Amino acid sequence: MTAPEPQNKGTPQGEPAKIAGAALVPKVGVFVCHCGSNIAGVVDCGKVREAAEKLEGVVVAKENKYTCSDLGQAEIIKAIKEHGIERVVVASCSPRLHEPTFRKCIQQAGLNPYLLHMVNLREQCSWVHSHEKDKATEKAIDLVLMGVSKATRLEPLEAREVPVEPTSLVIGGGVAGIQAALDLANMGFKVYLVETQPSIGGKMAQLDKTFPTGDCAICILAPKMVELARNPNITLLSYADVEEVKGYIGNYDVKVRKKARYVHEDKCVGCGLCSDACPVKVDNEFDLGFGQRKAIYIPFPQAVPLKYTIDKEHCLHFKTGKCLLCVKACTNEAVDHEMEDEILTLKVGTIIVATGYETYVPMKKGVYKYWEYDNVITGLELERLINASGPTGGHLIRPSDGTTPKRIALVQCVGSRNKKIGNNYCSRVCCMYAIKNSQIIMEHEPSTEIAVYYNDIRAFGKGFEELYHRVREDYGVEFIRGRPAKLSEDPKTKNIKIRAEETLLNKITEREFDLVVLSTGLRPSEGSKRIGKILSLTTSPDGFFQEAHPKLRPVDTAMDGIYLAGCCQGPKDIPDSVAQAKAAASSAAAPMFAKKVTIEPLTAWVNEEVCQGCGLCVELCPYGSPELVPGQKGGTKAHIIEALCHGCGTCAASCPQKAIVTRQFTDDQIYCEIQAALSEHGRKQAPKKRAEAEVSG
Amino acid sequence: MKGPNQEEEKEVEKVFIGGLHEHLTEEKVIDESQLVPNFADEIQKYGGKDVMTCLQCGNCTGVCPISLKIDYKTRSIIKYCQFGLKKYTLGTRWVCATCYRCYEHCPADLNPAEVMIALRHIAVREGIIPPFIKTAATNLVKYGQSVKPDPEIDKIRHELGLGPIHSQDPEYPKVIREIQVLIHASKYDKLIGIQEEVKV
Amino acid sequence: MISYVYFFGCVVPNRYPGIEYAVRWVTGKNGFNLDVADHKEFSCCPVPGIFYSTDKDTWLLLAARNLVLAQDERRQILTICNGCLASLLKATEYLQEPKNMGKANRVLAQIGKKYTGIPQKAEGKRKVFEPVKVRHYIEVMANDLGYDAIAAKVRRPLKNIRTAVHYGCHYLRPTERATFDDPNDPVMLDKIVEACGATSVDYEDKLDCCGAGGGVRSHVVELANSLTQDKCVNISAAGADCIVTGCPFCLLQFDNAQKSFSKDGIPVMHISQFQALAMGIDPISLGFDTHHVSAHSLLRKLRGA
Repeated sequence: MTAPEPQNKGTPQGEPAKIAGAALVPKVGVFVCHCGSNIAGVVDCGKVREAAEKLEGVVVAKENKYTCSDLGQAEIIKAIKEHGIERVVVASCSPRLHEPTFRKCIQQAGLNPYLLHMVNLREQCSWVHSHEKDKATEKAIDLVLMGVSKATRLEPLEAREVPVEPTSLVIGGGVAGIQAALDLANMGFKVYLVETQPSIGGKMAQLDKTFPTGDCAICILAPKMVELARNPNITLLSYADVEEVKGYIGNYDVKVRKKARYVHEDKCVGCGLCSDACPVKVDNEFDLGFGQRKAIYIPFPQAVPLKYTIDKEHCLHFKTGKCLLCVKACTNEAVDHEMEDEILTLKVGTIIVATGYETYVPMKKGVYKYWEYDNVITGLELERLINASGPTGGHLIRPSDGTTPKRIALVQCVGSRNKKIGNNYCSRVCCMYAIKNSQIIMEHEPSTEIAVYYNDIRAFGKGFEELYHRVREDYGVEFIRGRPAKLSEDPKTKNIKIRAEETLLNKITEREFDLVVLSTGLRPSEGSKRIGKILSLTTSPDGFFQEAHPKLRPVDTAMDGIYLAGCCQGPKDIPDSVAQAKAAASSAAAPMFAKKVTIEPLTAWVNEEVCQGCGLCVELCPYGSPELVPGQKGGTKAHIIEALCHGCGTCAASCPQKAIVTRQFTDDQIYCEIQAALSEHGRKQAPKKRAEAEVSG
Repeated sequence: MKGPNQEEEKEVEKVFIGGLHEHLTEEKVIDESQLVPNFADEIQKYGGKDVMTCLQCGNCTGVCPISLKIDYKTRSIIKYCQFGLKKYTLGTRWVCATCYRCYEHCPADLNPAEVMIALRHIAVREGIIPPFIKTAATNLVKYGQSVKPDPEIDKIRHELGLGPIHSQDPEYPKVIREIQVLIHASKYDKLIGIQEEVKV
Repeated sequence: MISYVYFFGCVVPNRYPGIEYAVRWVTGKNGFNLDVADHKEFSCCPVPGIFYSTDKDTWLLLAARNLVLAQDERRQILTICNGCLASLLKATEYLQEPKNMGKANRVLAQIGKKYTGIPQKAEGKRKVFEPVKVRHYIEVMANDLGYDAIAAKVRRPLKNIRTAVHYGCHYLRPTERATFDDPNDPVMLDKIVEACGATSVDYEDKLDCCGAGGGVRSHVVELANSLTQDKCVNISAAGADCIVTGCPFCLLQFDNAQKSFSKDGIPVMHISQFQALAMGIDPISLGFDTHHVSAHSLLRKLRGA
C-alpha cells in the first residue's frame, strides 16, 4: 500500500517508525496532563508516562497537573530546547480546546507548530470511562502509543494568508440582522442587507409589547430600521433573495435576486395614492389574516423601505390585463408592471446569517383543534389582536363573533418540548410572551379572567421572574399546571371547554373559556433551510443552525467567515438576539479589520500525476472545495481551493485513484496509528521491555 | 326528642372531627423505607419504557377514559413508579383498558399503557392475581379458547347451518396438548396457579 | 389473488355465531368469493388483556403457534376482531427481533413447530422471509376489494339507516403500527358503511374506548359499563339507528352493557353483518337472536325503507 506524499521529508512509506532505521525516528517529547482530577482521577497518569518513556523515539516524558498552564507550557519549551525535541505529543483534552494553545507554545520554542499531536485523554477516555479505571488507563496508554507513532510521521506545514474584502453580507432583516448590519456599518464597513420580505423588521415588528419591560416593539425597532435605511455604509436589498454563494472567507461571490416589486424604488415616495386607488383587497399576511391590505401595499405603516410593492398573485392587471388604477394614481410614474427580477452580484468578505424563525403551526387533526374552532388562536395572532396598530386597533376580540373575551386560556408548550412531534427543545420565549400578554390583556380589561395551562414556567431572564410574580399578584392570572387533554366547542356560544388534569390539584377539571390562545413555539424557518443549503451550514438535531462551539464560539459556524445571529441558531428572545447580533458583527469585523486571514494548512492536496479528473471529490465535498481545472500537463484534474477546505478527508477517502491526500491525515500516518493500536508493542510489551532493561542494567 | 339530638351529634362529629382518628393513625410522611430502589428498572425489564422520562404534565390522565370515572390517575401512577412507591402501584392496575390514548398524547413519548402492563407482570409475580385471569387461563388450557363454550350457542350454530366449533373437532385434543406444553414450558401454569389443569 | 385463512377468535364462534355466518357469507361464493381457508388448529389468539398483560413470554408462544399454522399454509390471517389483530400483529413484530424468535422457537420445538415467517423469493443464496401477514376484515374490505366493489355487491341499499361506527382502540392504536387507517381520523369503516348505502353519523368522542378492553370488563364490569354508557349517550344524541363495529369484543360490551342503563338500547352489529344485510341476506341468518339488544327496530325500519 503506497500513498503519495506531497511533502514527504524522508520516512519510508507504509511501515511504522519502529522498524525504520533509528536515525530516521525523530526525537519525541510526551507530556501527560492530569487536568486536575479530570484525567488523573480516573487514569493512572504515572503508568501512562512510564509506558510512553519506553517507546522508541521518546526522549522526554513528563506529567503535569495542568499542561495548559504557564508552568506546563514552560516545561514543554524547556524540554524542546534542552533535549532537541522534534515532535511534541500532548496527552490531555480535546484538540478543539487547546490545540491552538500548544501550537503557539512549540512555535515559541522554534518548532513548526504543526509538529504537535494531541492525544485526547479527557473527553475520549477519562470522562467516558470513569467507572472502569484500570481499563481507562490501558486505553490511555494505547492512545498515547498511537499518538507517538503518528507524531514521528508529522511533517512541518506552513499556514497561508489570504486577503479579506472589507464588506459584509447580512442575510435577514429582523432585529438581529438589523443590529448586526448597523454595528458593522458603524465600524466603517460596507454592508449589504438582504431581506426576502418587502420590508425589514422581521417578527419583532409584528409583536405588541416586549417582555419584561413592556416597551412597544415597533416603537423601539422602527428608529433602528430608519437608521439602517439612512446609513450610507448599508445597501438595503429588500424583497430580495440570496441565490448563490461561492468562494471562501474574505472572498465570497454572492448572487442576489432582487424580486420585481413593480414599483421603482427610486421614484416611489411612499405616499400611498396607489394603494388608495387599488380596488383589490386581500388578507394581510402581516396581520396573519385578521386585517386586510390592497394588492399594491406596504405590509405595515412603519415599513422600511417605505416603498410599495405589487402582489402579482392578486393584482387585477396581472389577472385581466386591465385596471392600472395605481399607475394612474401615482404622481411620480413609479408603478411599472413591466418590471423584471434583477440579478445582482456582490463581493463580500464575511457573511452574517440572521434568517430567523417561524412559529409552529398546530396539527390539522390535533388535540387543540386550531383548524376547527374559530376561538382557538396562536400567540402571534394574539400579538396582532392586542397591537394598537393591529387590525382591531388593539381591542382584543374573539374571532367567532367579535365580542370581547372575558375568560381566556393560554396553553403553553404547543409544538415545544414534545418528543412525539420531534420538537424536543424548549422554545424559550413562550412562557414569557404568554405572561406578558396576560399582563397587557389585564391592563386593557381588568375584569378578564386568565388561566395559563403550563408544565413548567421558565422565567429565567433579567426581570422575568418579577413579571411572573406581578401577573399573579397584581392581576390574579391563574396558573394551572397541566397539559390540556381535550378541547370541545359549544356549538351555540362557540365557547371552548378545556379538560385537563390539574396536576397540583390532582383532579381532572373542565373549565370553559371564551378564547384559547396556543403559545406556539419556534422552529427553523423555511428560508433558513434554503440559506443553510446554499452556505453548506450544519444544523443541530433541533434543526436550527449549529454554532462552532456551544460555549466558546457561539456565533461562529463551521464555515470560516460565516457567522450566526438571532433565532436561526436557536430560539431566543429579543435581548439575546441583539446581543448575539452584536457578537456576530464583532466576530465578522475581526478578519475585515485585519484585512487578511490565516488559512489552516490541514487541507487536502491532489497529486495531479495520479488524478484522473473523475470529479467524485467535487460531488462529495460538503464545502465545495475541489474544482476541476485543466491540468498542467493536459487533461482535467481536480484542484483543491485551500481556503474552502476543512480537511475533513471525505475526498481523500473516496478518491478511487488515491490521488488525494489530507495533510496530517495521510494514509501513512493513519496506518501508523492503526498498527500501533494493534501491535503488541504497547502496554503488553512494555513490561517485557522493562525486564530487558533490568537485565541489561 | 332524643332522635334529632343524636343525629345532630353525628352531624357535628362528621363535620368537625369526622375521620380525625383514622387520619391520625395513617402515615403521612413517606420515608425511604417505603421506597423500592430501582423500581423503574424492574418496569423496563417487563417491557415498559423508561418512566424517568415522564415530565408529569398530566396529559395521560386527561385523555384516560378510566380516570374520568374512578380515582385513578395515570400520571400519579407513573410518579409512584419514578419514586419507587411500589405498594401504591400494584393494587388497581387492572382497570387500564389499554386503549393507548395516553401513549398517543404523551409529549415525552412514554407509553403509560405499557407501563401498566409491566406493573401487571410485577403484580402477578407478587401473587396479586385477579380471578378472571385464572378463569381465562383455565378456559384456554381446557378448551383452547379463553371463552367457555355454550351449548345453547351450539344449537344456534346448527340452526344457521354452521358446523360445530372447531375446538370440538375430534383432532382438537392435540391442540390442547400443544397449548399445555407451551404453558408448562413457560411456567405460566405455576405463575397463575393452574397446575392441576395442565397435564403434561 | 391473495390467500387468506379465517381467524374467528373466541367470542364470535362461542357467542355470536351470526357474525361467523355473515363473514363466511360475505367472503364466500354469495359475496366476494375470496380464497379463504379454515384451519382447525387455531387456538385463542391469545387475548392481550390476559396473557400479554401477565406474561409476555407465554403470550408470544401461544401467538407464535397460531402464526406458524398460517405460515405453513402460506396464507394471510384474516381476523375479524381488534383483539386478535392487536395480539397477532404485535407478535409478528416481536418475532422480527431475532432474539425473541430464537427464544420462542426453542420452546415451539417441543411441539414440533418453528416460526420463520413466510419464505419469499431467494436473493442469491440467502432466503428472505417475510413476517406472516395479519389482516383485519375491515382493512381487507377497504384495500383488497375497494369501496366501489363493496357498493357494487349491494342489493338492498341501507338507505335512511343512521349508523354510528365504532372503530375500537386496538384497530387504531398504538399508531406507530399505522399499517392501514389514519389513527386520528380513520375512515375505512365509515366508507364501508356508506358504500352499503347507509349514513355514517358523526358523534362526540367517536374514537373513545368502549370500556371493555385490557381486562376491565372482566375485572370491574360496572366501570366498563359506565364508559359504554357515555358512548351510548353520544350515539343516541346523534340519532343513530344502530352501532356498527369491527370488533366482536366491543360489540359484546355494547350489547351486554346497554341493559344496565337503558331499557331498549341501540342494536349493535359487526360490519360483516351490516354488509350481509346490504347484500341481501335473509336477516334470520345473521343470528340476531343471540344479541341481547334486539335488532327488531332496525329491521323494521329497513323493511319500511
